Amino acid sequence: MLAEIFTPDLFASAIRMATPLALAAIGGTICERSGVVNIALEGMMLFGAFMGVVGAMFLGSAWAGVLVAIMSGMALGLIHAFASITLRTDQVVSGTAINILSLGLTGFLMEVIFGHPGTTDPVARLKPVFDISGPTEGALGTAWRWFDAIVLSYTPIVYFAIVVAIVGQWALFNTRWGLRLRSLGEHPRAADTVGISVVRGRYSAVIVSGALGGLAGANLTLEQVGSFTEGMTNARGFIALAANIFGRWTPAGSYGASLLFGFADALQIKLQLFRDVIRIPSQFFLMLPYVLTVIVLAGAVGRAVAPAAIGKPYEKG
Amino acid sequence: MDTKLRKVLALLLVFALVTVFAIGCAAEEEEPVDDGVEAPVSDVKAAMVTDVGGLGDKTFNDGTYEGLKRAERELGVEIRAIESSEIADYEPNIDQLANAGFDVIFTVGFLMTDTTIKKAPDYPDVAFGGIDQFFEEPPDNAVGLLFNEHEGAYLAGVVAGLGTLDQDLDDRINDDNVIAFIGGMDIPPVEKFEAGFIAGARSVNPDVEVVALYAGTFEDQAKGKELALSAIDQGADIVFAAAGLTGLGSITACQERGALFIGVDVDQYFSVPGSGDVMLTSAMKSLEVAVFETIKSVVDGTFVGGQNRFFGLADDGVGLAPFHEFEDAVSQEIRDAVEEARQNVLDGTVTVPPTRAEL
Repeated sequence: MLAEIFTPDLFASAIRMATPLALAAIGGTICERSGVVNIALEGMMLFGAFMGVVGAMFLGSAWAGVLVAIMSGMALGLIHAFASITLRTDQVVSGTAINILSLGLTGFLMEVIFGHPGTTDPVARLKPVFDISGPTEGALGTAWRWFDAIVLSYTPIVYFAIVVAIVGQWALFNTRWGLRLRSLGEHPRAADTVGISVVRGRYSAVIVSGALGGLAGANLTLEQVGSFTEGMTNARGFIALAANIFGRWTPAGSYGASLLFGFADALQIKLQLFRDVIRIPSQFFLMLPYVLTVIVLAGAVGRAVAPAAIGKPYEKG
Repeated sequence: MDTKLRKVLALLLVFALVTVFAIGCAAEEEEPVDDGVEAPVSDVKAAMVTDVGGLGDKTFNDGTYEGLKRAERELGVEIRAIESSEIADYEPNIDQLANAGFDVIFTVGFLMTDTTIKKAPDYPDVAFGGIDQFFEEPPDNAVGLLFNEHEGAYLAGVVAGLGTLDQDLDDRINDDNVIAFIGGMDIPPVEKFEAGFIAGARSVNPDVEVVALYAGTFEDQAKGKELALSAIDQGADIVFAAAGLTGLGSITACQERGALFIGVDVDQYFSVPGSGDVMLTSAMKSLEVAVFETIKSVVDGTFVGGQNRFFGLADDGVGLAPFHEFEDAVSQEIRDAVEEARQNVLDGTVTVPPTRAEL
């Protein structure tokens, strides 16, 4: 039974499912490090997923769709930044409004563009990066099968998410940009007095988080399934928010936490295969990733410390 | 920026959001089609409340709407569909339609059962049709419209059970005697599909292993894909999904990994563009018939509430779709077995179990 659960596909599945979570979570990290709460990740992901399909359809290329998805996420990021930084609205309210807006807007635009609700027409997807055939026989064949599934089987955005996590982690703690970003979230007044523009810094952070949210959506539609379904993000944006907190507001931590959630989800699918052996209702397996979220947050929140100025609009002077 | 301007901008932003949202959830209004024929006219008004999947799910909400459209065409009734974006919308949507003077309201989906029971007594002059809803004590003005999904799925199971052994059917059929079922939520109508499918497969192939996986949602395509990939990884070469929009992802998985697919509720060969290369057949349930007949009974004044009605193989309430692109590949042996199974169900020699426990 264990050999049937722990197949190479289990780990590949975990990484695939972790990718949209991780991109959105790292977006959340960057946004919240600048002192702006971002619960709009769900909406950004949903809107990016939809606009990615629209872009791919009208521009005729999945890559163009990815760019459109990123820009759409940035547009929502701009709205969130304008509301929460310039207008100093409550950031949670602004984020909630964007989530609702995104749900309504994607449903509405689907009617306008595709002429029917539910699901868009299918579009071309991004292909896996590598297509190498290796040995199939013996121990070498088994080793290759594992290596191929776990390392070589993915589409471009999956690899890009890993790059974002590594580069983001390094940049946040080793570059001038990272220091400035963190100062905005910890003590914006101090940053302001040494000449860092709080408004500009926060604006760019929120917009970058929108770009990553949109890219997460593109991963769902343009890499995984090839069409958009209303509400298809299915609360991944909120799980991503939890991953960001569990990852202690660091890019690498966010990726790691997302991987944990992705693995829990992949594992529950495999465990369902043995429903007849384990004799537990399927609902029990389905709740595992969410139970894990609650346990992890309850255990981690005591130790994880949020940026000091998070959620507080900055008023100059 | 001064405070006044900020306030104005904030108000504008709120206004814009509300407008867009309101448009986004506005009810469907179909333009009447002018086909030159003198349309029949009736003063009966019929409406439906969708479940959270909404119109465009290519399965049961759309199927109900087809029934309404047929009633509009053939009986001249006025129709309307209101979409529920979450479970909390069920009650206000029913209130809205009842207060707008609709004579017959369809509430779509098992999840709306309790809401229908609660709301029907409030509007005694309105006829309620509960799609997929079994009423223990049916209200006098409500009828539960149920389908013997397990009977249709039983035939699909026969096809899959023999198909997985028949490598002449398609080169995607492998050596493993494994097929798969993907469910949306683990609720009775879906369980009926699962139980019928398994029973059908085992009736012709006792050793077959049926991998059954549930997504816990009808809307998550990516989840549907991962479930199907996992099943295919397990050796499944024919995948049957009764999972609403989630099942669309399972079709993608079949196309990617080389497996065949069996659709659900409607003939998905037509409703899912580009799926023909994997779409072996579909286990259909004819919501259109059930909905149309209910409206017709209201128009004729013969509506009888307080009961549950079952639509099965006998009255074409459920059935199997054509093989389409696999028409030439499906062997006579499979066709004969399907026909035999159909006869056995019709004459009562075989009783198809509607739950896992009765398998």
